[in-house]
Amino acid sequence: MKSVCQVCGFVYDETVEKIPFSELPDDWTCPLCGAGKQEFAAEKKEPESIVPQIEFGEEHLKLSAGQLSALCANLSRACEKQYLAEEADLFKQLGEYFASKAPVPADADADELAAILRSDLAAYPAVRAVTDANADRGAARSLVWGEKVQRMVSSLADRFLREGAAFTKDTEVWVCTACGFIWIGDEAPEQCPVCKVPSWKFEKMQGRKTA
Amino acid sequence: MKRYAVRNLRMCTKDCLCLFVCPTGATDTENSVIDKTKCIGCGACADACPAKAISLVPYAYPPQQPKTPQVITALHYLGRSKASAESAALRLAEAAGDGMYRLMKGIAASERILGADLMREAGYMLPQSENTRAFLQNIQHDPDYADLPADTVNRLLELLYPDDTE
Ligand code: SF4
Ligand code: SF4
Repeated sequence: MKSVCQVCGFVYDETVEKIPFSELPDDWTCPLCGAGKQEFAAEKKEPESIVPQIEFGEEHLKLSAGQLSALCANLSRACEKQYLAEEADLFKQLGEYFASKAPVPADADADELAAILRSDLAAYPAVRAVTDANADRGAARSLVWGEKVQRMVSSLADRFLREGAAFTKDTEVWVCTACGFIWIGDEAPEQCPVCKVPSWKFEKMQGRKTA
Repeated sequence: MKRYAVRNLRMCTKDCLCLFVCPTGATDTENSVIDKTKCIGCGACADACPAKAISLVPYAYPPQQPKTPQVITALHYLGRSKASAESAALRLAEAAGDGMYRLMKGIAASERILGADLMREAGYMLPQSENTRAFLQNIQHDPDYADLPADTVNRLLELLYPDDTE
């Protein structure tokens, strides 16, 4: 039997690997991208015929401060791509303003974070059904990458709940600036396992500045 | 379509053929940014550059692809939880030791990139678009953001929509 990583597409072939997939330890991770064992699915699983429906109501059109901040970040990036340096910087400032207006959660709660990530991930098929019904291939492309990246993020949050932060202690955390994929390792990967950009597109997360 | 040349500094290998072929000297600048006021958009530099570091970009972009209200609503649904996840991760980073701090910063950065991407697909691909202009104009009257930095917004409107008359 073959199991496929739902983040990067790595195939675990039991006939080659000797150890049956189910007998791998729980903390086993994908050798290519580092996603957790539970992010693998059996190859050729039945296509999900019933997509869970979500009511996407009007109330979602009112954007939160955090969303407005993401909007400005998107526009800043678009200006950067057009080599419009001043505009890029202005949108960045505006993004920071909206970020400062986003409500700060009362408690630092990792369970809560993992729950948001899981429910967000679960919504992808329903959102994808909408973009397909509207023949919006641009949005579909963004969702295909986004779902993989979100699966990775969610997998890391789950791992953090199980093991704490020990797995990042003596190594680095890298984020792909093109798609958002997170990589844990001493060096950035040669290529992003999700969107395939080269290593220099990865940004290393800096430690807390000590005063 | 009127265009001008831009140089990607990360790709430029300083082979300097662009300096040899440019009829106006626009490529020869002390800060490596091609002088837009001198460039006539002939494309000679882009053709000559062995590193493919020069692109010609238009002064005016075509209108964006239209988005249906259903797609916009569904994308905003996801965008909202990305923003919540980002806030939750930043809150955790604040309370954390070093290993966890970097992990949570990474999660926040990732959620931010995903959220920005969703916004692009929800009708905000181009800064020069009608949608972006409407956003910048309307947000000035939103009572939730009464202390909005007005100069920043006005300067953006001025730069991005130079043909607007007040
Ligand atoms: S020709 Fe290309 S590589 Fe050479 S200096 Fe000009 S932009 Fe750079
Ligand atoms: S497009 Fe023509 S005028 Fe403009 S920088 Fe290139 S060579 Fe010079």
